Amino acid sequence: YGQQITIKLKDASVEEMLKVVRQQTGYNLLYSPQIISKGHRFDIDVEHAPLQEVLDHVFEKQPLAYTISGKTIILKEKPAPAITSVTEQQHLEGQVVDEHGVALEGATVLLKNTTIATQTDSKGIFRLQVPNQQRITVLIVRSVGYVSQEIPVSGTEKVKVVLKEEQTSLNQVVVIGYGTQKKSDITGSVSSIKSSDFNKGTNTTFDQMISGKASGVQIIQNSAEPGGGVSVRIRGASSINAGSSPLYVIDGLPIDNAPAVTGGGANFDAPRVPRNPLAALNPADIESIEILKDASATAIYGARGANGVVIVTTKKGKEGATQVSYNASTGLQQVAHKIDLLTTSEYKDVLNGIIDAGGGAETYRIGDDLSTTDWQDEVFRKAIIQNHALSLSGGNNKTKFYTSFNYFDQQGVVKSTGFKRYSAKLNLSTAVTDKLETGVSLNVSYTRDDYAPGGFGINAESGTIYSMLNFDPTLALRDANGVYTLSPFLDMDNPLALLEGANALANTYRTFGTAYAKYQLLPGLSAKINLGGDFSNQKRDVYVSRITRVGGPLGGSASILQGTLSNYLVEGTLNYDRQWNEHTVSAVLGATTQRFITDNTNQNARNFPSDLTGTYNTGLGDQSTYRLGSERRTNRLQSYLGRINYTFKDKYLLTGSFRMDGSSRFGTNNKFGYFPSFALGWKLHQETFMQGATAISNLKPRLSWGQTGNQEIGDYAAITTFSTGPSAILDDQLVTTTQPARIANPDLKWETTEQFNIGVDFGLFNERISGTIDYFQKKTFNMLLDLPIPTTTGFTSILSNVGSIRNTGWDFGITTQNLIGDFAWTTNINLSTLHNNVLNLGGIGQIITGDAGQTNQVFIIREGLPVYSFYGYQIDGIWQTDDDFSVTRDPVAPGDIKYHDSNGDGVVNADDRTILGNSFPKLTWSLGNNFSYKNWQLSVFLEGVEGIKMLNNNLVDAYFPVQFRRNRFAEPYLNRWTPEHPSDKYPSFVNPTGQGSKLVNSYTVEDASYLRLRTLTLAYNLPLNKKYMRNLGVSLTAENLFTISDYSGFDPTVNPNGGAFNRIDFNAYPMAKTFILGVSVDF
Amino acid sequence: QLEPEGFLATEEGVNSLLNAAFAEGYINGYEGKNRVMLENWSTDIEWETDGAENRTASQVTNFTLDASLDWLFGTMWLRPYRAIRNANLLLDNIDKATISDEDKAVYVAEARFIRVLSYVHLYSWFGSVPLRTSSNDPLELPRAEDAVLRQFIADELLAVAKVLPDPGSEKNYGRPNKGAAMALLCKFYLNTKQWQKAADQAQALIDLNLYSLYANYENLFKVENERNSEFILVNPQSPQGAGMNYMNGAFPPGFASDPRTGLTMRSNWANWAAQYRLYDTFYNSFDDDDNRRNLILTRYINTQGATVSLLNNNNTRSFKYWPDANAIGNEHGNDMSEIRYADILLSRAEALNELNGPNQESIDLVNQIRQRAGLGAKPLTIGQFSSKEDFREHLLKERGWEFYAEVGIRREDLIRMDRFIASAHERGKTNAQDYHRFFPIPQAALDADPSLAQNEGY
Repeated sequence: YGQQITIKLKDASVEEMLKVVRQQTGYNLLYSPQIISKGHRFDIDVEHAPLQEVLDHVFEKQPLAYTISGKTIILKEKPAPAITSVTEQQHLEGQVVDEHGVALEGATVLLKNTTIATQTDSKGIFRLQVPNQQRITVLIVRSVGYVSQEIPVSGTEKVKVVLKEEQTSLNQVVVIGYGTQKKSDITGSVSSIKSSDFNKGTNTTFDQMISGKASGVQIIQNSAEPGGGVSVRIRGASSINAGSSPLYVIDGLPIDNAPAVTGGGANFDAPRVPRNPLAALNPADIESIEILKDASATAIYGARGANGVVIVTTKKGKEGATQVSYNASTGLQQVAHKIDLLTTSEYKDVLNGIIDAGGGAETYRIGDDLSTTDWQDEVFRKAIIQNHALSLSGGNNKTKFYTSFNYFDQQGVVKSTGFKRYSAKLNLSTAVTDKLETGVSLNVSYTRDDYAPGGFGINAESGTIYSMLNFDPTLALRDANGVYTLSPFLDMDNPLALLEGANALANTYRTFGTAYAKYQLLPGLSAKINLGGDFSNQKRDVYVSRITRVGGPLGGSASILQGTLSNYLVEGTLNYDRQWNEHTVSAVLGATTQRFITDNTNQNARNFPSDLTGTYNTGLGDQSTYRLGSERRTNRLQSYLGRINYTFKDKYLLTGSFRMDGSSRFGTNNKFGYFPSFALGWKLHQETFMQGATAISNLKPRLSWGQTGNQEIGDYAAITTFSTGPSAILDDQLVTTTQPARIANPDLKWETTEQFNIGVDFGLFNERISGTIDYFQKKTFNMLLDLPIPTTTGFTSILSNVGSIRNTGWDFGITTQNLIGDFAWTTNINLSTLHNNVLNLGGIGQIITGDAGQTNQVFIIREGLPVYSFYGYQIDGIWQTDDDFSVTRDPVAPGDIKYHDSNGDGVVNADDRTILGNSFPKLTWSLGNNFSYKNWQLSVFLEGVEGIKMLNNNLVDAYFPVQFRRNRFAEPYLNRWTPEHPSDKYPSFVNPTGQGSKLVNSYTVEDASYLRLRTLTLAYNLPLNKKYMRNLGVSLTAENLFTISDYSGFDPTVNPNGGAFNRIDFNAYPMAKTFILGVSVDF
Repeated sequence: QLEPEGFLATEEGVNSLLNAAFAEGYINGYEGKNRVMLENWSTDIEWETDGAENRTASQVTNFTLDASLDWLFGTMWLRPYRAIRNANLLLDNIDKATISDEDKAVYVAEARFIRVLSYVHLYSWFGSVPLRTSSNDPLELPRAEDAVLRQFIADELLAVAKVLPDPGSEKNYGRPNKGAAMALLCKFYLNTKQWQKAADQAQALIDLNLYSLYANYENLFKVENERNSEFILVNPQSPQGAGMNYMNGAFPPGFASDPRTGLTMRSNWANWAAQYRLYDTFYNSFDDDDNRRNLILTRYINTQGATVSLLNNNNTRSFKYWPDANAIGNEHGNDMSEIRYADILLSRAEALNELNGPNQESIDLVNQIRQRAGLGAKPLTIGQFSSKEDFREHLLKERGWEFYAEVGIRREDLIRMDRFIASAHERGKTNAQDYHRFFPIPQAALDADPSLAQNEGY
């Protein structure tokens, strides 16, 4: 079926033609010589035409008729034409086929405005009996999954109806690991997002485009800085010490998503989380993104599948005229939400008030003649985004190409930050012979990250954001000498001096791609060789000049960090697809190996004759300050994989897959891991007993089980090695040292995640409502854990396979077509719940971990709790003047914070700490509405999270100021406790650190739930004469128009701590509100 | 990253591992400062306000600290045990290395010294702790018997003192020498009240005739004078990354210059938010002629040109570690002495007093110190002290004047003389109880080791 043939014959007989057909299709022929001799000779010239169409065309003018049974073409004599006019009834005959010429069984054929209807048989043939008096004008033909058609007919000639497949989710082709599948045949849990559904707006990297678009997927912006890192988590956190990021596969190449350079350069407060390596790919090149969530889908990726797999498929050329598309957009960004700090007059009143109350030395009193500087206004700016994307694609029946170019330039809303990308893309495939196809997919990019210091540094070592939030608002920008002001009372640099004087620039060159050759060995059996490589080269230049407080005494500090990250892939697969009778089998078998190499060098020098040379000539620095370092690491994977998909009667679906992974990262005793999976699906709506339930157009329960692994533990973790220790000082010189890096664990292996998934895909009212519901239980055992060991060994932990952790949750995804027609309205809803629980910690009672700036011991990991639960002090209120102070032995006074004395022993200390929540969202949701009317389109996308906590470490600094003369969050200070206005919420701030280090508490661990209007897009397509221009569209997009949240920091969605479920906000880069105007032209 | 077998077979490998033991065993940098402050903030001389450090300091000063105190784990627990690990690994493997027997003996003695130094520290801070003497010891190891650990410390120090080179003939300045081992043993005997042994050990050091009091107390701690005849056990510091951090907190807010000495703030010095302050009672206890008091800053000129007095607000500052002109940011080069010759003289004086009550030799020893302090005209006489307790009380004062703000000394002195808790109560720190003479075992260490029990009281 669906085969295409190419025939060019002159004056041929039917027999000659059919022999060519047999050669090209492998179909058998059945006819008698007597019959075939009755045929006429004819000319034929067709190229790549569907078989059935060709045959229909040929036999139309022949006294012969054909039928196809299985793979056999049978010829018969045509019956004599019936004389319809004289019968009582008219007979209308015809056939219904799909676009590929395949007969459609069960299609309904209805005479318009009557109840006269019939269904097609297994050959797609229908025969409608129409009373004579009834005029035959229009037929309506319907079939599930196809666009209904109205066919005007006149008389009773044979009609042929070709139904187009409806572009519903059901017949989408979904990319799965090492192959594709129709969505209707999928047994696992896979979210597929097509380019048309991507988030509009500023998408520096593709992960932002799918935020909120797939249930069960959390996409957390580690930094809102252009090009900043993103954490993607699929179905929770299945590990504590091994990585939790999904595996990314771009056009068949598993990507090493590590940054090429880690570390930020000396004397520079680099962000804690690296920048986003995926920024190398132009998002406009992406055709679809598939997210494999359950083990049935991911087990084919074995030891890298436990955290889910994100498969990115880029656009390919199509046969036909060359299409040129050009997209341009420009936008304006501004900070969405400033933090409400004390203004100059508030600062003076509040701080002097605290001094009056005995909470500060007289030295710190604020006098008159003050400047009013809003440091946020000085640091932020309105920033421009520009994007230009040009693509050309097309091809002929043999060769197809897609090529694109992209220039993207995003300024940051913090001055002196920005991101630029220049990229080019080529996808090319060609059929060398009928059986051999080769192709390449190549991506080349240059990205340039310009960023300001903004990590977890504090005081004099801090970055711009920290300094901006803490710097004295009564100071002018510059002093009388034109130098950026410094405060004698602040151990901190001027925020603008940091912006101007501390500069980091990263230039990254990345090339990745694959080349393949596919050979059709036998009908249904093909072999493919796929070679891939990914080479990323980054040079990061960091210069801290004399105008900064840190750089001044050093005479400037220059760091150059260089890194090369490369990997190559060699893989061979065999694919087998066969269909016979009621069985369909599709199988893949393969072997693959991938090797990863990391190379880093870094250098630092100080004390330059001038700042002008920057990092251009580090040799000018003082030789005694030179610091050098380098590192090289490798690891290798060697794997064997197999999968079989079997369908019986197009109702019962079975998938089984297996992968064997060998990794150099594991201990000598455990080099190979084995990862099986099984899944069942049942197309319930195909059952005869469901035929009555016409409202149900699709109902497919699914069940899957599988095991996947996680090997993200870094290189060499299984063996003892000696690495650089702290420097000794001998003869007054620093001397480098070496000491053991860890205790060896020759038994170290992958951790195993066993996932059970039960779900259902459904469609109602002819797919007007469609959706997916899944429940999963994901249990990790042999968990890779830095198991604490007695610290008297000099080591704190040994990486071991102990312990167990479980994630459970529900994923819902529902799409409804509320209105169709001229005015169309579609709604998409995604909901996910997530519950995480540490089941077993290998006998260790608890692990307390996490730090930010001077805050530490933030999280607790304990059996029975979600991993990384916030652990700290509950605040009951404020000590009031008439309280009974005899209940406490702590040094407290009225106006101090009243911490909860859990054990009632009169002292609040570490034993009184309690669980203060966690960063696992109880509910993650998104709501997308698309409206279209004629050429207009409006889309509104809301997203939100409920039940999530985040430590606001800038709020910690507000409650427990490091220095008196720092600026602070306004709300607690303007409403602080005073004897005249005793507050039971906010303390007096007279002695904020008097009760020691109780920084993690129920005030500073804030609720980070939110509702956000993430994007609002209005688009208009100009009505055009399509001859020269296929499309011309303009769009206006607004991002982050509003956010509703109780969170007091810049934004409840950021997480500069990295990771998704151990969230700490400290010196976060603020989120921007963006307006973008876009134009797209297609020729 | 290197594989261990081949690496430790070479002298370079052994030396590099030994250097890592030095780096962990001696204090320096920010962590070194943490150790000094944790010990000093619970005494009658120093306290702290402001800065993030106050969150830690207020717990130490108010005796409300618990096992979660963040500086304890890294600085006071892990560092010594990493030094012990590195030393043990060296001792376990050195036989396989191709090194001459002579050199091997020194390497072994150096490793054993840094190991026993770490145990002396741990014993002082936490009481008896697990005694790990080989990298093959079992992972879980309970605390050693008090007597066993004491014996180990004394035996090791006696043994290595015989092998270690004389001061000045070490391979590099900063490596352990014979004097350091003898002085450490002397102080260990003193702190464990083995008076006779302490007195003898002090005498043995005096008899070496290698050490003497440096003539000028005010210049003793300056970076240019750090290699001197008085420092015996020294924690080397370097401005290149692991330096003395004390001055950063000693500078008062907006410090521009010191009107007395003309010392002027330099742009390469850091002035932290944290304020390291001395009590007025301590400042006022000095004799007016005592030149040791000169290293305490009582007033300064700030960046706005105003003269600010620090007196009468428990706010004077120790400028003992006189700032290093070549400091880089937080790091000053001044080496931090842990035991100096003055301590040995006063230790013998104290031990003899404990054995015999006030005696002329002790008086003479103390007068040597006072002489150098500019109090030659005001020598002590035996008649001033009616009893052992009386003289002990004076020794405590004398030791305060001599050793304030130095590494570890005051806390040990107060505990040894049984004044640690009482003096806290006198300062109004009513939470102080007997159990505070030890620090709590850090929570992370307890969490990781079921066989380890917390110190009583915590």
